[in-house]
Amino acid sequence: MVQSKTAAEKITRLKNCIARIASHRDKDAFSILFDHYAPLIRAYSLAREPGSNLIADELAQEVLIRVWLKADSYNAQLSNINTWIFTLARNCRIDYFRRNGRYVSDIDPTEMFNNIEDEEPGPFQLAHQNRLEENIKTGLAKLPREQAEILTKVYLEGKSHQQTSTELKLPLGTVKSRVRLALGKLKVLVTR
Amino acid sequence: MSTLKNHPKHELLVAYAAGSLPMSQALCISIHLEHCPECAKNMYRLNQLGSELMQQLQPAPASPNLKVKLLSLIDQVSINESLVVKVVPQLNIENQSIPRCLRQFIKTKYEDISWNRLSSDIHNYELCRDQNNAKVELLRLKPGGTSGTHSHMGDEYTVILEGSFSDESGIYHQGDFLVRDSRDQHTPVATIDKECICLAVTEAPIQFTGFFSRLLNPLIRRSYA
Repeated sequence: MVQSKTAAEKITRLKNCIARIASHRDKDAFSILFDHYAPLIRAYSLAREPGSNLIADELAQEVLIRVWLKADSYNAQLSNINTWIFTLARNCRIDYFRRNGRYVSDIDPTEMFNNIEDEEPGPFQLAHQNRLEENIKTGLAKLPREQAEILTKVYLEGKSHQQTSTELKLPLGTVKSRVRLALGKLKVLVTR
Repeated sequence: MSTLKNHPKHELLVAYAAGSLPMSQALCISIHLEHCPECAKNMYRLNQLGSELMQQLQPAPASPNLKVKLLSLIDQVSINESLVVKVVPQLNIENQSIPRCLRQFIKTKYEDISWNRLSSDIHNYELCRDQNNAKVELLRLKPGGTSGTHSHMGDEYTVILEGSFSDESGIYHQGDFLVRDSRDQHTPVATIDKECICLAVTEAPIQFTGFFSRLLNPLIRRSYA
C-alpha cells in the first residue's frame, strides 16, 4: 500500500507512476503500482473465485502487464486511475474465462469495451468528475446494507440479477428494485 | 444531441459494466453506446461505481514471487517491443461506418456480405453463436419490407445499424435498442426510403404467427438447430 497522507495525494502519486512508465519505462514506478494494485486485483478475483489464488495471481499479472504496455494511452486528465484499473481488471477477467472455455463465445470482447474507455468520456471536466466520484464514495458509505450487498454480488462476484435472487432467496423484482434504489441514491444514472 | 428513445434498461447497463452480461447482449449494448451519449455517460459512472466497490475490498496481499515474476516479464515484453517495428494499424476506410465491435466480423461493407435470402423482403447473415446457443445475426429488410408477424420463444435483442423500421409500438432509428420477449408479437416494417439493417440476438427460435409466414417455421427452426 502507498503510504500517503490523503487519498488525493495517493491518487496523484499513482498517476505519476503511470506517467513515469509511459515516458521512460520506469520499473520503480511499476513496482509502486504493483504494491498498490496487485492486492486489490487479487481481491477482486477472489471475490468471484473464492480460494483460487492461481487465478487471482494470473489476473493480477494480466492487468499489470497491460498497465505497463498501455501506460501511454492512459489519459490522466480525463480518467480516474482506479476506474482505469477496474475496467482493465474486468476486461481481463472476461478474457480469462473466455480463453479457458468458461464462456463459450465466438465474440472477442476486446473492441467491445475499448470504444468507451479509451476515448474521452464527453464533456467531463476534472472537477465535475471528482464531484461524481465524491457522490459515489459518500453515497456508498451511507447505503443500507442490503443494497450494498447486492451491488457487491453484481459487480464483484459477477452474478446476474437472477443468480443474486436465487442466492439471497429474494424475488427477482426485489433484487432489481434494490439495485435501482442504490443507483438512484448514488446519482449514477442520468434521469431521462 | 441524441434523439434516441429506446435505451437498454439499467440492469443491462449494470451487468455490462460488471462484465457479467453474455457477450452477444454486450455486443448490442456496445453498439447502442456508440450512438447514445446519454447511456455512454451512465456507463462511465457505472464503471466509476465498480471501481469504488473494488477499492473497498479487503486487499489480498500478493506473494513476493509474483512481483519478481512480473518484473522479469516486463523486461521480456520491453525487449520484444523494441524488436518489433511498430505496425501502424491500417485504417480500413471501407468499414468505417460499421460499429467497432462488429469489425471483427465485417471486414468491408454491409453490401459485400454474402447475405442469405430468407424471403423477398428479408436477408440474414449469421455472425456467430454465443453461450446458450444464442444466435447473433444481421438482418436486412428491403425498403418497406417486413419480416412478417412473429413472436419469440426466448428474448430477442435488436439494435439498429442502418435505416429505420416501425412496428405496432413505434418507429426506431439507428442506435435504438430493443428487447422483445416471448409475450411480444410484432410486425416490423422497414421505412420505405431506405433499407434497414439490424443486429439481432435471439435466444431461441422465433415463431412466425401470420398465416403464410407460419409456413416458414420449420425452415427457421432447421436453420437454427
